[in-house]
Amino acid sequence: MAQKQVIQQPGLPLSDPTQPSTTVDLEIASQWKLMWWKFRKHKLAMAGGIVVLLYYFVAILAEFFAPSLPTTYIDQYVFAPPQRLQFFQDGRFDPFVYGYGFERDPVSFKKTWLVDEETVIPVGLFVRGDEYTMYGLITSDLHFIGPEEKGQPFYLLGSDKSGRDIFSRIIYSSRVSLTVGLVGVAISLTLGILMGGLSGLVGGWVDNVIQRLIELLMSIPNLPIWLALAAVVPIDWPALRVYFMTTLILAVIGQYSWTYMARVVRSRFLSLREEDFVLAAMLDGCSTWRLIFKHMVPSFLSHIIASVTLAIPGMIIAETALSFLGLGLRPPVVSWGVMLQDSQKVGLIATSPWLLYPGLAVFIVVLALNFFGDGIRDAADPYH
Amino acid sequence: MWQYIFRRFGYMLFTLFVISIISFVVIQLPPGDYVDTLVNQMASESSGVSAEVEEQMRALYGLDQPVYVQYFKWVRNIVTRGEFGYSFVYRTDAREIIMDRLPMSFALALGAFLIVQLTSIPIGIYSAIKQYSIADYGFTFLGFVGRAIPNFLLALVLLYLSFRYFGRAMVGLFSEEFVDAPWSIARVMDLMRHLWIPAIIIGLDRGAGQIRTMRANLLDELNKPYVDTARAKGLSERRLLWKYPVRHAANPIISTIGWALPEFISGEAIVSIVLNLPTGGPIFLAALFAQDMFVAAGFILMFSVLTVIGTFISDVLLVWLDPRVRLQ
Amino acid sequence: MTDPLVEIKDLRIHFFTDEGVVRAVEGIDLNIKPGKTLCVVGESGSGKSVMALSLLQIIHKPGQIVDGQILYHRGRVAGGQFSQNGAVDIASLNRKGRDIRSIRGAEIAMIFQEPMTSLSPMYTVGNQVMETIRLHEKGISKKEARERAIDILRRVRIPKPERLIDEYPFRLSGGMRQRVMIAMALSCTPSLLIADEPTTALDVTTQAQILDLMLELQQEFNMAIMFITHDLGVVAEIADDVAVMYLGNVVEYSDVDTIFNAPEHPYTQALLRSIPKISATRQPLDMIEGMVPSPFRRPGGCPFHPRCTQALASCSTVVPSLTTLHENHIVRCLLHEETGEEVPRG
Repeated sequence: MAQKQVIQQPGLPLSDPTQPSTTVDLEIASQWKLMWWKFRKHKLAMAGGIVVLLYYFVAILAEFFAPSLPTTYIDQYVFAPPQRLQFFQDGRFDPFVYGYGFERDPVSFKKTWLVDEETVIPVGLFVRGDEYTMYGLITSDLHFIGPEEKGQPFYLLGSDKSGRDIFSRIIYSSRVSLTVGLVGVAISLTLGILMGGLSGLVGGWVDNVIQRLIELLMSIPNLPIWLALAAVVPIDWPALRVYFMTTLILAVIGQYSWTYMARVVRSRFLSLREEDFVLAAMLDGCSTWRLIFKHMVPSFLSHIIASVTLAIPGMIIAETALSFLGLGLRPPVVSWGVMLQDSQKVGLIATSPWLLYPGLAVFIVVLALNFFGDGIRDAADPYH
Repeated sequence: MWQYIFRRFGYMLFTLFVISIISFVVIQLPPGDYVDTLVNQMASESSGVSAEVEEQMRALYGLDQPVYVQYFKWVRNIVTRGEFGYSFVYRTDAREIIMDRLPMSFALALGAFLIVQLTSIPIGIYSAIKQYSIADYGFTFLGFVGRAIPNFLLALVLLYLSFRYFGRAMVGLFSEEFVDAPWSIARVMDLMRHLWIPAIIIGLDRGAGQIRTMRANLLDELNKPYVDTARAKGLSERRLLWKYPVRHAANPIISTIGWALPEFISGEAIVSIVLNLPTGGPIFLAALFAQDMFVAAGFILMFSVLTVIGTFISDVLLVWLDPRVRLQ
Repeated sequence: MTDPLVEIKDLRIHFFTDEGVVRAVEGIDLNIKPGKTLCVVGESGSGKSVMALSLLQIIHKPGQIVDGQILYHRGRVAGGQFSQNGAVDIASLNRKGRDIRSIRGAEIAMIFQEPMTSLSPMYTVGNQVMETIRLHEKGISKKEARERAIDILRRVRIPKPERLIDEYPFRLSGGMRQRVMIAMALSCTPSLLIADEPTTALDVTTQAQILDLMLELQQEFNMAIMFITHDLGVVAEIADDVAVMYLGNVVEYSDVDTIFNAPEHPYTQALLRSIPKISATRQPLDMIEGMVPSPFRRPGGCPFHPRCTQALASCSTVVPSLTTLHENHIVRCLLHEETGEEVPRG
């Protein structure tokens, strides 16, 4: 919110010296407004923010945006290459894809996919397809995009080893992979604020112990411990429990875990303690709680938000890596890492490189989050 | 100064102690032990095992004792005899497995570390003094891309590209003729020729981050009053740059160099798994899957020991470099 | 009248920022006399520091000298160490070139406001003092340079200079650091010392000591001092001549007595009224009304007119020119244009 303040400025302007005083309107912008102005100037950050919002939007409505269910398969289309979406037919806008044909090498008997230009599969927006139930509430079969006739092969990013649509699975995966970032950061942030705040506020031996603990956790290589801990998760656990366990592991140990948050919070607390306005509030007889929540927290909230935005991509990458190695989330859960498991077999990526598309999804969202986070961090820093 | 180094040394020993506990406990956590695995295996091969035999096997491997006794024996054997415990899979002491692969892990992590330090700091400096030049934008772009590609994904992409264009995986640590050859100068040279590709894959993320940090730090330092002082003395721009702002800007990076080591060890492990390099990573992962606990625990311990020692060295380095720390 | 050591002629320094051009210095004419102390007084934003930095060509980007000359007369040093005659136009020198570098530190030296941050914490005092000496005196050995450094540290009254030379600056007090800065500046016996608010960051006792030291050393080294300050008390104590600056202009220039006893420019008068006085009666402190305008919105005409209590109607449109009232008393104000004599433009 912007407040208007009227400042008396005597002697301005002087075109009429007999009237010595006049008023000038000065707008006093709030911290958030200033941040928004600064952020808006950062083009890449804006673009990053839009991409991130788009990702989360699609993830929320995954059932609608995915052309098929993650489990839908057509067994004759195994490892089918991506189809090119054609927009114009006979000179007018009427999107379609070509069907598949294949030939077998007479010697090796290997199957090679071909584009069958004879078969035209019409594609439409808002088509009827697989039936789904969204969040246990809405049952529908409406899909944003898909073949007009249900059951036709429609593989914009190719198909996997069971003939499932990689595009649809990437969309469903985003729900898991993106929330791992959010949930993980939420846990690490809670822990971090608690420990960092304690460290910065109490000081003394408490600070010392927490600092040693953080140093200790930071000097252990993350991946081996993650793997070892993930290996502990029993095979027969339900998917949701595995999901939370994995997230918890990432939030407790690692580069972007609570140790990172705690360091951010602590250093903010320490530097704020030196600030004049905090001293002024203290001298005014401000109570400790009021001091923390009214004066200190608002002034570093922006830093926390920036750190959170920069920690989310770290979490996403970590989950992807763990699942990729087979020690994080497991099928039937779909996440980008789980999907990438298929590409562990060297021969497969050589013949079906589209199996790497989930990696592209990771790359784009991590890039966008980094731009976005950098923008917020720059905007949050009042001294630049 | 010596007090500081001693204190850091004390921390290091303490950290090692805690890490050894963590390594051991983590490996103990899964329900069941190797004997269970073995029994299941035998059962599936329809040669059932009696409970009695099962207990005997447990006693043989020392698995019947309380955890702390097992831990104590494990640590004692490592410290006094250099034995890491029995590998159930390889039927030998875990030391042989670990020591066979660990040096290569270390070489790869160190290679990546050196490449990153030797390139990212100069590039960061260049980027800062040529702020807003084409090269600066290029490196900034590279920085963002480097941070956004997880190293295992980069390894996969490279694997695909080498298949696509060369018909085989070009990323190994040795040429074919040296894979099983005994160590020789030629083999080391061959290793050097191959090491840099996985090293860059491992280091890209960190390197990208450091370029950005160095650039930002240096841009900050360039406007500090002591730079004006030095310029007012009549120093040439080049001498001034290297003696003052670069030195100041590099300090926070050098002082946290130790923290980079865990990252390199982690990166080394996963990239080696993807590229199937003959280092500790793939064996460690296999040991986890097979519940070969002493091999897995030994690897965690040794990976951590490497990084903790590295951190200690960087602490000492910092003392040597920064008079503010040295004279406290 | 003595010939000036440095003549600044119609100097203009602009900062080209994204938000617009800041005209930090907008036509300054000023002389610095050899062996004398010139105090430059003004509020923050008056351009006094930028002007000082321009004498060494060390203005920060995006600042740039856009017009004018800074003529440095090498021969006119009272002691006469420099034999070369003729003037160097510092404003036209390449800021990274060899010529300006041979002047910096050797002939014109500078000390800065913040003794805490103006010395690098990474190197010893000796390292930083000897650096200047070895830079400008070719062929001097390390040992000789060290002896010279110890000697100069002793001359700025640093106790036990043999020991302190190996100390790091962050282990010294603020006053000691400023002494080190002075030692560094004087190590090559410059003919002009520029001091940009060197005592602002120090406590009052230390401030007095440093000022005394500077005046003493001025006699000893026979150098000119350009002292930038906003503290009129300091001015009264050390100045020979005073230049009062407002928004990138020198509005009044004269010897210290005239400035304090018979100021002519309304701004100078207002400044002097705003000094607190110890008197028996309690009375409110006179302030200059209004604020210094934003650097992007420099008022037209006389820049001071919006705050001036004696402003005429024409003040908002006509830029006043420099007017000589008496010898060594120049003022830039429309009120005096008729009475005085316009200074011919060089």
